[in-house]
Amino acid sequence: MATVLQTIVDKKHYRFIDEEVTWQEAVRLSALSLVEDGTVSDEYYKEIVACIEKHGPYVVFENYIAMPHSTENAKGAFKTGIGFMVSKKIVDFGEDEDGEKKEAKLFFTLSAANADEHMDNISQLMEIFQNEPLLNALMEANSPEDILAAEAKYPCEDTY
Amino acid sequence: MAKLDNKKILACCANGAGSSLMMEKAIDKVMKKYGIKPAELRHCPVSEGKSAARNYDVVFCARPFAKTFDGCEANGTVLIPLKNVMSSPEIEAALKEAGLID
Repeated sequence: MATVLQTIVDKKHYRFIDEEVTWQEAVRLSALSLVEDGTVSDEYYKEIVACIEKHGPYVVFENYIAMPHSTENAKGAFKTGIGFMVSKKIVDFGEDEDGEKKEAKLFFTLSAANADEHMDNISQLMEIFQNEPLLNALMEANSPEDILAAEAKYPCEDTY
Repeated sequence: MAKLDNKKILACCANGAGSSLMMEKAIDKVMKKYGIKPAELRHCPVSEGKSAARNYDVVFCARPFAKTFDGCEANGTVLIPLKNVMSSPEIEAALKEAGLID
């Protein structure tokens, strides 16, 4: 079965940006590859932005990872998928409740329409998010070939 | 018998689709490591978890949502806010500190 990174490449669900953008713009850009093949509506990103505005940047994890998402079967989420984006510049999401800075360079923007597929995506993402050498290689990626090379070099293992 | 056997465990995040699912999976890894069989382990959005929390023995959430569950501990529910929602070691340490695993 294809890994999530292979699927991201196969479906062209990737984007690489070099310009400085706000987190709202970054979320919009990260979802564009999903809009292009009808995985989500062009309005879907607004649901995510509203959610982060309401609950804070809790979707931003350690190691410059952001996993912007809305609810399962959200309005405008037609298929299950992951919009991957590498931002060469750090995207500032503000601070969390402890005053800790929330910053991202890797975006894994989720659309969940099918529970089983989504569950599998989440399981795999958990392994990726805990695979630091892979994350570092992904931050340097400039092409789909780079994504696949990074995965081949630093495969995910079952972490605890 | 492990102290969490037959207990009900809930994991909550804002949407009930992303980080709470990661939490559930990370909790499940700890349960398997200790051979614990909870009666229930599920995830849901904070909006639902707020009222459901009292029916659970242990409730996990990401730190920003901890205040949402103020008061649930009065019913004997153990609330465990997490810094890293996908960290099984953090969950294991928190359960040890709460005296729920040895």
